[in-house]
Amino acid sequence: MPLIYLNNAATSWPKPESVKAVLAESVALPVFGSGRTTGTQGIDYVSLAREKAASLFGTDAEKIVFTQNATDSLNIIISGFLAKNTGCHAVATALDHNSVLRPLFEHSRAGRVRADIADFENGHVSPDTIADLLRPDTKLVVMSHASNVLGSLQDVRAVSEILADKGIFFVVDGAQTAGHCEVSVDKIGCDAFVFTGHKALLGVAGTGGFYLRDADSVAPTRFGGTGSRSSELYQPDEMPDKFECGTQNVTGLAALAEGISSVQSLGVSAIHAQAKQQIGYLVRRLQEAENIRIHYETPEVPVLSFNIDGLSCEDVGFILSRKYGIVTRTGLHCAPLVHEKIDGGTGSVRISLSCFTTDEECRTAADAVLEIAKNAASRINSA
Amino acid sequence: MRLQGSIQHKACADGSYMKEYQLDEPLSKEFFEYLKYFGRVTALEEMGDGYFSFEKPNWFSIKGFAGDQTVEVRFKRETMEITTDFLYLLFSSFKEGVDLTPLREKEKFRQARIAELLK
Repeated sequence: MPLIYLNNAATSWPKPESVKAVLAESVALPVFGSGRTTGTQGIDYVSLAREKAASLFGTDAEKIVFTQNATDSLNIIISGFLAKNTGCHAVATALDHNSVLRPLFEHSRAGRVRADIADFENGHVSPDTIADLLRPDTKLVVMSHASNVLGSLQDVRAVSEILADKGIFFVVDGAQTAGHCEVSVDKIGCDAFVFTGHKALLGVAGTGGFYLRDADSVAPTRFGGTGSRSSELYQPDEMPDKFECGTQNVTGLAALAEGISSVQSLGVSAIHAQAKQQIGYLVRRLQEAENIRIHYETPEVPVLSFNIDGLSCEDVGFILSRKYGIVTRTGLHCAPLVHEKIDGGTGSVRISLSCFTTDEECRTAADAVLEIAKNAASRINSA
Repeated sequence: MRLQGSIQHKACADGSYMKEYQLDEPLSKEFFEYLKYFGRVTALEEMGDGYFSFEKPNWFSIKGFAGDQTVEVRFKRETMEITTDFLYLLFSSFKEGVDLTPLREKEKFRQARIAELLK
């Protein structure tokens, strides 16, 4: 049975051949870096990745910081911002991932912030809902660019316009949009934009980063060797050394640089168009069954969440995996507040596509889900 | 029917702990009929040779297809130490016409310990 991998919103698979090649190349070469006498034998993959990420997001390389993943980025930004603004009020949204909610709620429990959550309707957080929650002491707004459960794209530009003249720091979590949607941090108008390497940027796990407009707005929360200003006992203020210390994940960043090259070569708009067409097809097919509940019917990024009446999401995921070889993800997808609203907190089945998903795979997946739904309609439950 | 050992295991994102077990004989519809005495069984009998899942909240769930010689079990992690041996008993005690009384007694005893643990 061929494997059909539809869990790309967690980690994309497969990776481009060029990414696999650069992974092998990068471990075969000596590490290039400041203070090392590698000479001409190494490749500066870290700088290469920084330039690539900057070009993808329409900004300058010195505004890009590398981390382990989006969660790491959000922790650094939220904790570093609150270190400079202790006691302030913050707003996040019910669509946010635990990578936003947990740092915020942990800081709230420790008394460093008071947080409110903006609710959503039909997949979207209205900018007005966020505006209504703002207070004189609101200093921070964090929100997902697209929901990892619903695939709904948020109007972050409109939120940014509301916040612009209020001096509120605006963080956009782009874990589900980087590589799937055209992103210009200047057009969005955000203060920080977070991305991860292992999803639609086609890199490997253990890479991610963020754009930061003004380095002074966030305090560093980790300290150590940077290969710069080594005679000083305090962390350098310059970007990216202010937030990057210790040896980088050079191999991972080599893959990230190549992954971004692949995305740029395919073209983000072409990737987005293919994804919209395929996810639209899946929605239409699944709408054929009355006992399938699709939680958001017009996804703007290729993520589709659904449940089949009378079957747990785990049952559906198990059958898809074992009978059809289709890998999906089931459960809460680390976004508990979304599920409170859409399925009462029980979790959903999530199908998520990548630029390498074929139309045939979508057809097979739709046929499989419909077959399960048909059987579920005549299921037998014990008391 | 006997569990012959775990062939795959992982910590699941929902907090449960999954183990896939090899069985010494294929799963059958009758086995899941028997499980109904201990929890909730969902059956999609037309799905392949029949898909079955068993749910015993705070204990474990069992999923499998009739005819397969593997089964997926998801344990509630907090109670796994108390429930694992009962899982083995559940499989090994299965046969037609079996007296469920001793198994019921063991279930009752463990249920009290689980209730105490989760209090």
